[in-house]
Amino acid sequence: MKKTIAILAAAVFTTAAFAVEIGQPAPDFTGTDINGKTVKLSDYKGKIVVIESYNSDCPFCHNHYASGAMQELQRDLAAKGVVWLLVDSVNTNNFSYRTPAQAQAEWAAEKIAATAWLDDHAGDIGHLYGVKTTPHCFVVAADGTLAYAGAIDNRPQPFGDPRTAKNYVRAAVDDLLAGKPVEVSQTKPYGCAVHYAD
Amino acid sequence: MMVRNLIWIAVMMFGLARARAAHTEAQLLLSAETAKPGDTVWAGVDLKMEPGWHTYWKNPGEAGQATEIKWQLPPGVTAGEIQWPLPAKLPPAEVTTYGYENEVVLLVPLTLASNLPAGALNLTAKVAWLECNESCIPASANVQAPLNIGGETKNSPEAATIELWKAKTPQTSQVSYQAWWEKPADGDTRPLIIGNEQPMDDAKNIRYDSVDFFPDASDTYEIQPATEIISAFSADFRLRKSVKKFSGDWPKDLSGVLVFQDGALRTGVEVEFPIADKAPGGGNISATSDVPAPPAQSLWRMLIFAFIGGLILNIMPCVLPVIALKILGFVSEAKSEPRRVRNLGLIYAFGVLLSFLTLAAVVIGVKAAGHHAGWGMQFGSPVFIVCLVTLVTLVALNLFGVFEVTLGGRALDTAGELASKHGAPGAFFNGVLATVLATPCTAPFLGAALGFAFAQSAAVIVLIFLTVGLGLASPYILLSWNPAWLKFLPKPGAWMEKFKIAMGFPMLATVVWLFNVAASSYGKNVLWLGIFLVMVAFAAWIFGGFFQRGRQRKGVALALVFVLLATGYAFALEKELDWRNAMPDTSNTTGSLKESADGIDWRPWSPAAVAAARAAGQLVLVDFTADWCLTCQVNKKTSLEIPSVRAKLKALNAVALLGDYTHFPDAITTELSRFNRAGVPLVLVYPKSAGAAALVLPEILTPGLVLDALDRAVQP
Repeated sequence: MKKTIAILAAAVFTTAAFAVEIGQPAPDFTGTDINGKTVKLSDYKGKIVVIESYNSDCPFCHNHYASGAMQELQRDLAAKGVVWLLVDSVNTNNFSYRTPAQAQAEWAAEKIAATAWLDDHAGDIGHLYGVKTTPHCFVVAADGTLAYAGAIDNRPQPFGDPRTAKNYVRAAVDDLLAGKPVEVSQTKPYGCAVHYAD
Repeated sequence: MMVRNLIWIAVMMFGLARARAAHTEAQLLLSAETAKPGDTVWAGVDLKMEPGWHTYWKNPGEAGQATEIKWQLPPGVTAGEIQWPLPAKLPPAEVTTYGYENEVVLLVPLTLASNLPAGALNLTAKVAWLECNESCIPASANVQAPLNIGGETKNSPEAATIELWKAKTPQTSQVSYQAWWEKPADGDTRPLIIGNEQPMDDAKNIRYDSVDFFPDASDTYEIQPATEIISAFSADFRLRKSVKKFSGDWPKDLSGVLVFQDGALRTGVEVEFPIADKAPGGGNISATSDVPAPPAQSLWRMLIFAFIGGLILNIMPCVLPVIALKILGFVSEAKSEPRRVRNLGLIYAFGVLLSFLTLAAVVIGVKAAGHHAGWGMQFGSPVFIVCLVTLVTLVALNLFGVFEVTLGGRALDTAGELASKHGAPGAFFNGVLATVLATPCTAPFLGAALGFAFAQSAAVIVLIFLTVGLGLASPYILLSWNPAWLKFLPKPGAWMEKFKIAMGFPMLATVVWLFNVAASSYGKNVLWLGIFLVMVAFAAWIFGGFFQRGRQRKGVALALVFVLLATGYAFALEKELDWRNAMPDTSNTTGSLKESADGIDWRPWSPAAVAAARAAGQLVLVDFTADWCLTCQVNKKTSLEIPSVRAKLKALNAVALLGDYTHFPDAITTELSRFNRAGVPLVLVYPKSAGAAALVLPEILTPGLVLDALDRAVQP
């Protein structure tokens, strides 16, 4: 128990040292998407970027996609020039891991309307951003600073219609596009724990 | 993908239709088969999980979702709040959650109305939970149990299970707890310290190896799962938690469950208490149970501690000789010039306060530069030591009457004018000297006040330092302002001259002690410092005897004085000693630091050494000390290097580690701040049992305290 506590303490204090902070520049990362292309956060400098931690087996994420609400949000924001990156940090030993081929099939079947799906099975991007759950969302402003981090909306349920909830990502993007300060910049994320590699 | 959707649908259907979801079985237990109207019957929602699967506590932690119970009860039956058994911390470390594995029975009190008619009732509830393993599945089940309403209460067979799980829920607290913010916020996180408020003595039967805190959930902030145990022993514990704020203000109250682990046994208490802005007094654990209850305002308490600490400094060995000189001053002037005495008292106080202000500025400056600041840190600088030892030598010679301190010139015309001019700089200088000499002595109360101050803002540091100065100067301010009390002082007379000379000897003792401190920076070459001091003494004699008191060839005398001082400086200090480039003695990092043949076998301290000894199941005594720290030396002589402690250490096969803070190694500064101390002395005893945290001993040791701590540390 004590060792666990020590490890927990070490983990938190190390992750805390690297954790992202609202108002500070969002750390740059390099990932590979499911089509094999290299994607960097800095590629999108000048655009608003939404980062969503993804795992379709998690009932919370699944509900967002099965109801079509997530894809609708992705399309709405894409129309406004927003980049949307899915980050899948599930490790390769886990039941929910998708190989690139499976991921491409899922992308098509679910009609995902994001910009790219990054395969982060090593967990680098997840750890860099302190991603705890799926879905855990981040919004990076056009100037590269972190404008929002936390839950996707105020309704932590694995069922029902997410469109009825207040969507924090949509609100943050709308605030940024209107040039206003983001009203809700940080909330507690909900969902299933990210299945990081050991 | 289609297959996955089908699996989803199947799982959902399973969950809704049957009491057994994919991996958890839910059942409703009741404490009674038959109950009377007006009774309270305990319901237990029993969740049995397959191995590897878990469900969540009312605060699920960094992910997950708490179990929910929706009752469908007949009229006259009311359900109360869920009583949650003590949760476990579930891995992984990166995403820590609070919940249950294998089995949990969530208890709910059901109150029966007093006018409930007799008959058979069916109590139903819909239980919804999230069960997770490598993946998560939301599930729910409808559970029900029958209850008869009749003339007398009859327990059900499950009553024993319900009692068993009641014991696993948090109990009401017998002891009060407290929490405070350790530091101001760093971005959106801030450290919090949780501890007990009064000692948890053995009579309250709370024994534990470790403590942990499970917070209630909140929308605006999250108390992060990692817990750092600063100290945990039966009388006292301190935990550090990190709080992350999402929005709004920092929380003013803390609520949740404190869990005490004693081997395999866990007990818990439900707590709710305010979070103070600053630490209360005394971060130290006392070896006795008589810790006074702390007052409400922690800054005020620290200021009181600072004042009392300053007051006690007056009788500490470092400062006492200077104070004795003060008394002399008062005695000689009391009768004739009470007004001047008052002014001199104020000037002395001004000297003290200005010096403390300078010290505070230095501490703030050092902290701002990013380095660690320690109390007495100027003693780590060899240049400072050389200047101070020279100064104190001159003061001793002055007391012996070898030379006088005057301003000369036109002041010689008027005796009164001379005396006042002589008095004012003297009083000021005494104030500064008292402060300078006080720094290596830490008095009781001072350690807590300074440890608190060093972690605070610049304004608080200045305030606390000035309060210590006020405490140091206060006896003399009081004496100088109350001429009536001066009559308790002895009448002036010939004895004063002898007293003045006698005070020269404690000054010489201070020279010897400073010389010893310098030795650790200069090694054998400290001989040249001694030679320099002899030359200074010789120059002082020529100055006093031939220049001040002489009648002819005074110019020659003065020239000789300068030649002597210059030669001494150039040759002894600059060339031979190379006084500005000292080489601290860091050669001994693993060998024994035994002081004498039958002394304690001290080894150099390092975190690795502590860990190795504890891994071997040994008791560890750690002494953080410094050559310039007089309190440390006194502690060592009276309570550590004594036969009874030596024997006990041998008998217990204990490891003794010495942390030498003379040159302020960063590793030790960090270790001291972990125990909320700004400087030495710090003596710790790490108990034999591997998980238990260190016993922190008070600043002033007695043999009894040390032996008692060693005894406690071997208890299982």
